[in-house]
Amino acid sequence: MADYIELVPDELLERIARTLKKEIGPAVEEAYPKTQAFMAAVVLQKLAGQLRLADEHAVASQRDLQELAEEVDPLTVSQDTPPSLRAAVNTVRQNLDTASVSGLIETLYATRSELGETRFADLMGRVRARLRARIDREMVYAA
Amino acid sequence: MSTTQQATDEHDMTERIRRYIETRMPNASNLRLEAMERIAVGWSHETWLFDAHWTENGESKTQGLCLRRDPGNALLRHFSDLGVQFRVLQSLAPTPLPTPKPYWYESDASILDKPFLVMEKVAGTCPSPWGSAGRRFYAEAAARGALPKSFTHTLATLHSLDWEAAGLSFLGVPGSGKDFALHEVQKWCELVELSRLEPHPILVDLIGWLKANAPEPQRLTLVHGAYRTGNLLIDNNEVSAVLDWELQVIGDPMYDVAYVLTDLNREGSQLLSHLVERDAFFRDYEKASGIEIDEEVCRYYGMLYQLRSAAFWMSAAGLYASGQSDDIRLARTAWSVPVVLEGAARALGY
Repeated sequence: MADYIELVPDELLERIARTLKKEIGPAVEEAYPKTQAFMAAVVLQKLAGQLRLADEHAVASQRDLQELAEEVDPLTVSQDTPPSLRAAVNTVRQNLDTASVSGLIETLYATRSELGETRFADLMGRVRARLRARIDREMVYAA
Repeated sequence: MSTTQQATDEHDMTERIRRYIETRMPNASNLRLEAMERIAVGWSHETWLFDAHWTENGESKTQGLCLRRDPGNALLRHFSDLGVQFRVLQSLAPTPLPTPKPYWYESDASILDKPFLVMEKVAGTCPSPWGSAGRRFYAEAAARGALPKSFTHTLATLHSLDWEAAGLSFLGVPGSGKDFALHEVQKWCELVELSRLEPHPILVDLIGWLKANAPEPQRLTLVHGAYRTGNLLIDNNEVSAVLDWELQVIGDPMYDVAYVLTDLNREGSQLLSHLVERDAFFRDYEKASGIEIDEEVCRYYGMLYQLRSAAFWMSAAGLYASGQSDDIRLARTAWSVPVVLEGAARALGY
């Protein structure tokens, strides 16, 4: 059986970044292309980090969205829930995507006076807890 | 581009600038431009510095000049018009605020391919606070003591200007109540939209919070919009010119004060804008301007700067993503957005 070599994408990007940073960048004399070479190295390093974590983060994000939908759904079924908020929660439940969470946040602000401060803070707090987890994940490769 | 080609282009540009200035100075003869230097400042405009030498009425004369050209795809393109900058500098020229004297503005792209303005080259340096050399410069200046006072007093002067008498109403005067803050929020939301990148839900939350908590200004003044070290020319331990007139508005002076106070401009330094002690800034600003600093309102504007930063970085990344720019620095800003939003999340109590 042949002993194949695997090109792991994130490792490849890391190696190219190192070459840009340690060999190509220092060899360039003109200021602008030199900066571009070093900046390309930074971009490739960030991309490598993002790529390495992409699958793990996608699973975590879907789980967060699912849990958020399950959490806010029973809190927004009562008769006094503004219909637009109920619709926004349904959209999160069905789509499980970023746009639907943004839509839910916009609707929470739009219906704030109807909800009252306590209920608004409770629902928003639940959304924020999930977004806190998301931004923490993003900071692993962005910072 | 080869070094030879670059040298040819630079020579060609120098000659085109010289020919243009010649048309604006009909009494000048033997006009020549020396010490031509294209400087890399900011991401919004192309800038050249040079000295013009000529003979007039038998007398030799010299004037340092600065030319800024609109590259056409700049960051903040929608808010930063060179014609507006020129009018602002014209309005400020007779005031006590130190600014470069404006000479000419041309919107005719046939002259230098794109709109440009020519202004006075003011004496001084403009160290970037983002590099180690710049930070050392400001740390040493802070220890000497004169520059921090000049920094604060210049801001107080800016906020004390009679902007109506100076003819700055053309910038747009906010309506009563929360109009100023809401207009700023809307402006930066438009930049987010222009980026064509999907907004992060934390950004949506931040925008909702900003709309719900907009303050009412106690007074309206000229607001620079980006008052910090790096946008000020320094000469002999004093601010010799306030630069970067790209984001100015008529609005709440706390908007500028909040920018001085924000963590965004000091990256871990204890000194505001890497230069000024917080207590000294409060004391000197309030005394010189007669305006009391409202920290709660500044906190609001600090949040607004989080939106502005996110919009700015999204705009930059969007320019690269859409192929309007090949500058890899802009691509890198895509990863600055989560960093800004993490700060916003903390401020919102996440």
